[in-house]
Amino acid sequence: MKTGDMGVKTTTLEKALEWGRSNSLWPLTMGLACCAIEMMATQAADVDVARFGSEIFRNSPRQSDLMIVAGTTTKRMAPRLKRIYEEMPYPKYVIAMGVCVIQGGPYVDGYSVVLGVDKVVPVDVYVPGCPPSPQALTYGLITLQKKIRNETDR
Amino acid sequence: MYKIISEETDKSGMKVLNIDKSDLIELMEDYKDRKYFLSSITGVDMKDHIDVIYHLHNFDKNDYICVKVSTTDEKVPSITKLWKAAIVDEREQYDLMGITFEGHDNLRRILLPDDWVGHPLRKDYDLNKVQYVSVDRDGNEHVSFDDKEGW
Amino acid sequence: MSHWIELNIGPVHPATHGIYRFRVKLNEETVEDVDITIGYLHRNAEKICELNYFVNNTIYFDRMDYIDAMNMEVGYLRAVETLIDMEVPERAQWIRMIMAELSRIAARMVGIGALGLDVGMLTPFFHTFHEREKIQKIFVEASGGRQEVNYMSIGGVYQDFNDKIIEEIKEFIAGFKGKLEEMVKMFTDSEIFWQRNVGTGVLEPDIALDYGVTGPMLRASGIPYDVRKDSPYLFYDKVNFDVPIARTKDNMGRFLVKVEELRQSVRIIEQCLAKLPEGPYFNPKAKKSAMLLLKGQGDVFTRVESESGEFGVFIRGDGGVKPYRVHARSPSFKNLAVVPIMTKGSLIADLIITIASVDAVAGEVDR
Repeated sequence: MKTGDMGVKTTTLEKALEWGRSNSLWPLTMGLACCAIEMMATQAADVDVARFGSEIFRNSPRQSDLMIVAGTTTKRMAPRLKRIYEEMPYPKYVIAMGVCVIQGGPYVDGYSVVLGVDKVVPVDVYVPGCPPSPQALTYGLITLQKKIRNETDR
Repeated sequence: MYKIISEETDKSGMKVLNIDKSDLIELMEDYKDRKYFLSSITGVDMKDHIDVIYHLHNFDKNDYICVKVSTTDEKVPSITKLWKAAIVDEREQYDLMGITFEGHDNLRRILLPDDWVGHPLRKDYDLNKVQYVSVDRDGNEHVSFDDKEGW
Repeated sequence: MSHWIELNIGPVHPATHGIYRFRVKLNEETVEDVDITIGYLHRNAEKICELNYFVNNTIYFDRMDYIDAMNMEVGYLRAVETLIDMEVPERAQWIRMIMAELSRIAARMVGIGALGLDVGMLTPFFHTFHEREKIQKIFVEASGGRQEVNYMSIGGVYQDFNDKIIEEIKEFIAGFKGKLEEMVKMFTDSEIFWQRNVGTGVLEPDIALDYGVTGPMLRASGIPYDVRKDSPYLFYDKVNFDVPIARTKDNMGRFLVKVEELRQSVRIIEQCLAKLPEGPYFNPKAKKSAMLLLKGQGDVFTRVESESGEFGVFIRGDGGVKPYRVHARSPSFKNLAVVPIMTKGSLIADLIITIASVDAVAGEVDR
């Protein structure tokens, strides 16, 4: 961004769109298991995610552009998860919350858990933890915002 | 009249009745008359036979008893006529352990998709064979061993 | 003339509290039949428990009723310690009791907050989660985990209470007493809350017993059954508390029973803190090097009172270092199965409140 005379900033339209998009992410409540409760805690008063423009948790995929996959994805749930992802409008982003979603977690030896939700839908940000604390999820959200704005972590 | 093969007390102080499969309904009817209610059904795969363990509870006397039967042909008479709690319990044990409860009206899988191959809590279930679930437009679930078919 | 509709709710739906699928057969707005499909969160915990050592399985029980992790651990360890004849020092048992009751309060905070959300009240949700956050800070201090704590272990607890934790618990209890009344007032002052809850989701006691329903649902149907009172474990026989019941059998009765249990939990914690003795917090027989060599033989079935009802654990040991079979009798599994009976003939809006009032936890239903 450049600051011209009289305090007017000039930028490309793309950059302005990215900035707007990153600060008004509307998450979809994809609460599947334990992590859903921590996702609710992120939304609640103590770790107020509204500070980052994401307080509106939508229940309809048509109205949201960020899917927080919170909790173990089983093989029975994976096709449904994929379908809900397909119903979301572009541009759309996915945060994988918790180790179950990242690679299977404690259920890696079993028969009914998908070992990594990235086999089902493309994932932008991984938030490890079992379950991750609300602070970790907030950090993941900020990381996603930076990713949308094409910023690097310095 | 039913016959109790042996009676013992387990480590938690619970009375355990070992009975034959053919006496099960008669014994359960007797305990139902004595105001016992079904608490849980557990199946245990012992490789050559399957143990089915019923836990009954009397709320007035606060008495817990345990009834054990064993079966070699994976079939046990259903007790859904006596207690409705058995409906979900028997479906769960059918799903995971593969015990057929004879006389159950709606004996289908409860936790896994209907097409799932094998009963996971059996000792001979092969965990290395991965099964994949897919859903068609009508919402019906299909299971296959091919990873391209899944989701 | 009747007009039939088949309505699908779930698996991902804000009103289902977990992932279940309800296929509701409607006659205009009246519910005729509900078909519940479960299993979307079947994580095969029972199978994995057979592959692990006795001591490793607490984490899978944590994640069954994931909002009430401490009570799940108490339930599993009661079974294991009976099986392998492990004594637990007195101080460890009192500590377990305090933690179990704190966990019960934390779980109720989620349940009540979610019930408020379903009625359309957003405010109590923030208040209940604020209180839950305080309990989770105590858990972090003691165990390092916020929600899935893995605090208890065979033979005792992971870490002793220090003065700071005790101080924090006292501070929380002192603040919670007033806060609870304030929160309850938010619900009971609302006319809408009364109208939605009174007379809906009626569960007759004989049906409840027939379906194996336990916990607050059974007590709200008028049967004063509580495992803590009727077959005491830990030191529940050494503290004074009452078992509340409701005669109304409806959703409001269940809500009031849950609230009264919160007051009783506070009472129990206060008595525990006063009686907390000095001494070891861990049985030296179960020290780290010996932990993996603990062997068990025979069958045990023990039960504890979790937030949603009677949580029973069956373990068969074959004399080895791993359990041969683990089975959990989960209360939510039974409680959810009675929803079609409770909502038959009621309005579709009452179905939503009834599901919230049953307070089933998906992790425990599917295991």
